[in-house]
Amino acid sequence: MGELQDCVSALCIRHRVLFDRNDTSLPWSLMELPLLDRIEQPGSFVTLATMQSTHEEHASFCGVKRGNQPLRMPGPGEQYRFHFDMTKCIGCKCCVVACNEQNGNPPDIFWRRVGEIEGGVYPETRRHYLSIGCNHCLEPTCMKGCPVDAYSKDGVTGIVRHSADACIGCQYCTWNCSYGVPQFNPERGVVGKCDMCYGRLQDGENPACVMACPEDAIQIEIVRMDAWQQEYREHANSPGMPSPDDSISTTRITLPQLADCGLNRVDRGHLQLENPHWPLIFMTVLTQLSVGAFNAIGWMQAFAGHADRVASLVALVIALCALSASTLHLGRPLYAMRALKMWRRSWLSREVLLFTLFAATATLYSACLWAPMSGTTILGSIASLVGLSGVGASARLYLAPGRPAWNSPFTIFEFFSTTALLGAAIASLLAHGTTGIWLVTACAACSLGVFCTKLAWLARSPSHQLYGAWQLLSTTLSNKVLLRIGLLFVGLWLFNVEQAFPARAGALLLMLAGEFMGRYLFFVSVVPTNIASSFLMQEAA
Amino acid sequence: MKFANWLRRRSGFDTRAAEYRYGRDPVLGFTAERKHADTWVNSTCGYCSVGCGMQLGVRDGRVVSVRGNPDHPVNRGKLCPKGLAEHYTIEAEGRARYPLLRRKDAFVRVSWDEALDTMAARFRSIQTRYGPESIGVISTGQLVTEEFYTLGKLVQLGLGTRNYDGNTTLCMSTAVSGYKRSFGSDGPPGAYEDLERADVIFLIGANIAENHPILCSRLESNPGKTLVVVDPRVTKTAMMADLYLPVKPRSDLALLNAMLRIIVDEQLYDRDFVEKHTSGFDDLCQSLQEIELDAMARITGLDPELIVRAARLYANARAPFIGWTMGVNHSTKGTETVNAINNLALLTGKIGHAGASPFSITGQCNAMGTREAGFASGLPGYRKFESAVDRAELAQIWQIAEERLPTSRGLAYPDMIEAAISGKIRGLWILGTNPLVSFPNVDVLKQALDNLDFLVVQDGFHPTPTTELADLVLPAAIWGEKEGTYTNSERRVSKVNAAVDPPGEARSDFQIFLALAEKLGCRDELFHGWSTPADAFEEWKRVSAGRLCDYSGMSYESLETSGGIQWPFPAGSSEAPSTVRRLYGDGVFATPDGRAQLIATQWSPFPEQPNAEFPFILNTGRTVEHWHTRTKTGAISILQRMSPRAWLEMNPADAQKLKLNSHDRVDVVSARGRVIGVELRVTEIVGQGQVFLPFHFVETNANQLTQSAYDPISREPNFKQCAVRVEKQSGVNV
Repeated sequence: MGELQDCVSALCIRHRVLFDRNDTSLPWSLMELPLLDRIEQPGSFVTLATMQSTHEEHASFCGVKRGNQPLRMPGPGEQYRFHFDMTKCIGCKCCVVACNEQNGNPPDIFWRRVGEIEGGVYPETRRHYLSIGCNHCLEPTCMKGCPVDAYSKDGVTGIVRHSADACIGCQYCTWNCSYGVPQFNPERGVVGKCDMCYGRLQDGENPACVMACPEDAIQIEIVRMDAWQQEYREHANSPGMPSPDDSISTTRITLPQLADCGLNRVDRGHLQLENPHWPLIFMTVLTQLSVGAFNAIGWMQAFAGHADRVASLVALVIALCALSASTLHLGRPLYAMRALKMWRRSWLSREVLLFTLFAATATLYSACLWAPMSGTTILGSIASLVGLSGVGASARLYLAPGRPAWNSPFTIFEFFSTTALLGAAIASLLAHGTTGIWLVTACAACSLGVFCTKLAWLARSPSHQLYGAWQLLSTTLSNKVLLRIGLLFVGLWLFNVEQAFPARAGALLLMLAGEFMGRYLFFVSVVPTNIASSFLMQEAA
Repeated sequence: MKFANWLRRRSGFDTRAAEYRYGRDPVLGFTAERKHADTWVNSTCGYCSVGCGMQLGVRDGRVVSVRGNPDHPVNRGKLCPKGLAEHYTIEAEGRARYPLLRRKDAFVRVSWDEALDTMAARFRSIQTRYGPESIGVISTGQLVTEEFYTLGKLVQLGLGTRNYDGNTTLCMSTAVSGYKRSFGSDGPPGAYEDLERADVIFLIGANIAENHPILCSRLESNPGKTLVVVDPRVTKTAMMADLYLPVKPRSDLALLNAMLRIIVDEQLYDRDFVEKHTSGFDDLCQSLQEIELDAMARITGLDPELIVRAARLYANARAPFIGWTMGVNHSTKGTETVNAINNLALLTGKIGHAGASPFSITGQCNAMGTREAGFASGLPGYRKFESAVDRAELAQIWQIAEERLPTSRGLAYPDMIEAAISGKIRGLWILGTNPLVSFPNVDVLKQALDNLDFLVVQDGFHPTPTTELADLVLPAAIWGEKEGTYTNSERRVSKVNAAVDPPGEARSDFQIFLALAEKLGCRDELFHGWSTPADAFEEWKRVSAGRLCDYSGMSYESLETSGGIQWPFPAGSSEAPSTVRRLYGDGVFATPDGRAQLIATQWSPFPEQPNAEFPFILNTGRTVEHWHTRTKTGAISILQRMSPRAWLEMNPADAQKLKLNSHDRVDVVSARGRVIGVELRVTEIVGQGQVFLPFHFVETNANQLTQSAYDPISREPNFKQCAVRVEKQSGVNV
């Protein structure tokens, strides 16, 4: 044992020496020869960590472990990346278990996953596997969306790192990454992801997946970033992988010959409902209700000269409830206010900021109405406009590349049509009589139109994710779709035929229920992009 | 307090940062701190027979991590996913902790004394009433060799029954029979190094990418090889092949005979080797006269030219390697198929030198150990029951009367089950195996176990489907909790060490055997002065001395320092322990005249052909995440999550006819039983008319369907083919 430890520490020391590129007295001769053989390959990449080994090495373990050879630091304009050689992978999933052990993760969280793709006709069948950790993208979408700046792209290595301390568990990154890389760990309340075993690389050790692979199918390489911008489409694309365009994945994938012979993911039949995110359903619908209400109150004050202060109080309470509810979505609600931090970059931050401002101005406005004070009309307009901007930011943040069914103008239309419908109904309710009925009807028609057009769009899409959403909506969720439409119709009908306030308030609640149902469908029916998985749906442990 | 903790967690104040902290460990390097160990214990993996060297990291009396031993010559630091998660077996739920005795319909915890007293008394009373051979013992391939040696002696000389066999008969008894017939003795002649040094590698019915992934790494490091894979299913291994031969199910023997015929016809065989070192050439040639290439092409479904190409590839190779596993063994023609493989090697003289080997890749971690030392299908040290010389030699070493050694073997495993049904076997002792999942046509087995007067199950886990039926459950230590040696497929003896104590009152099998011997009153005679496995090892070394499987030059110390030693390693050998050894390099075989036997073989169709009622051929096999009956791996969350349940592979053309889609739940029905609610996978992995079902899952047990058909020589079941039909699920989910 002592000998082994000596050997290991000797290796560590040696690698630390080699890792220091400023040291000109480097004992270069110590570097393993296979590495030098491969150092200048055609193209922009240089394979550095290699397990190429010979019989002689096998026969005598001359001190260097396979998969443990020195790695130089990336120079300016370069970064580390994974190379995955599909021709070598046998789908054994050693990398998955090794990654889990390396990071001490629970058994239901895989930072590296192995997917399966298949094509051809028996016996010329083609079966291949994809082992993917994080792609350490040139333009990481996880990082761009993060409201708390928990992500950073390491200046030297290009590794996309995530700080569990900074993370508040909003899970926005899990929507933004098209590869499903960041994963929420409910046990911790924060997200985690592959960091290419940053700590190991620092010590001159290969990442756990690279070390574990019995087939030498995963390696760390150095890539020149500018060259990669030009050629990534050729090397980062693969059957079973989402397009690298969203974020410019840096993982280089060596595909087998005949990879274009109809290789397809084997998990196409997997369609499962996504997390409904109940706090977010409440938050989005109720903020839209509140913004609609304040618009109704404000506009009626501006044009009819009458502001309903009771209504404003109710709308304010709803807004505050909605915003409080939203923090329950977070893994770490205590740190919700951190979400304001990245308002220059993240739509989530902007949403939080605008709704906070909305809550503040709406509070001020209501207070003034109750005071009573003059000049409240302008305050009402400000609250209304800030609220509408909040709804806009709210909708915009769902345009996440990893969620194609959300990533369309329909999301914007849906969020605003909810706001308009509920706002118009409240205005009509406050105005008594049949005033504004036409507007409510028009908004309802609009809302229904958006919903149905979106369904048609999904149903006709060739994309697995969009058509998959249609499949869910037209099968598992079909009753709920009918309920959503039914609630809208019944609510509208009741609103039209009844004059009494309680009945019309009831009708409004029916329409609100319809919007809740619509939002529920919005959340659960989305089919995220992801790398291919294995054939059987994985059960949570 | 509980609420305060919950609130700290739910509010996000506490993210369990301490539990998820990383740190630098002198052995593991930068890793999660919860994996860091204080001490490291060298051992050998307890799953399959590849025999990977491992290190178990122990902290505070728990095994917190494992890693491949980078200095081990077999795996060089690599492990498969099961090995990488092997430490979880030790603390898995469902470990057996206390001896349990069935009283009325419930298990009652009893002391070891009471348990073993009861066992001895019940077995003795059954033997008094029905004769000594009314007791049967079914063991395993997963104990250490010291335990197999002890158990063999205990059963044959202490309990006094010959009816002793292992689950190895479900696995590699065919290879044993084949080797014995061809070479005069069991023992795979090659080494893993052959995978690196062969120029042509045939894998027949061997899906090593799924079942022995670490061998793939040895194979892949051979850049100059041509890999030929023979398998009816496009396995992960088939995808690695340079030449893939998609034979029809169980037509391997036809392919081999066609290749032999071509080699003889084209004079590609090694005349000199055949003349000097083999007998039976004329008989073989005569039998090959009946082999028509076109007929064999029809049987195998291969293009005749492809067969010719394969034959020439093999015969013209400098060092061809043929590896096989269960595709060959699990067959009523298994032994003959192994003989045909051996014929190829003998005819061309491609045996005993680097790269050239007909090589049975074994299943369990120490199936080899029980073959060498076990006293089941032969006397310890590959001695033969039938040989008076062997018996005399053994009796002399043991200082016992020669008459106490049986002159023929007892019942093989499947025959013991039949005997239990007919009432000849009344008491059964099952160790380290789970036949309720692994035995073919399981209803027959259930009937047999029902019929017993007393059933003892000794296992590391309880409840398992088998322990649930026991009258007495003896809790045993498992891998990581006991000491001894394993022999892997390449005859490498590696050391196994205890890292922690077994849970509860569980004991190592070795200690259980000694304690039972005490109760049976034969401990002093059979195991005089023994207290640790090392005592058994020393005696076993003497017993093996001079035999093919000679251990006499080994010691626990040299096994530890060398990363395992391949036998034969006689005392006084001038070779370094780590030398790669092969058998029969000198052309002298273990037969009386030193010549290997060429054996004429004849293909015949598998017993249960598809028909109108059962139109599909069912193939069974494994997946990389699971091990055999899932007693261990089913309790390991990460493996279970990666492979949560069984599936049935079916060709798209067949699925279309039956109007079935992927993910439909289907029932698979044979003449013997029904498997309910398997998830269908419509895939080109299997050909038309074939379906594939993994056998690990008791919930959808493939052995409800398989038949009671056995190889007449090795008694190995024909697990690989039977006729089934597939229906949309009947509605009852199990």
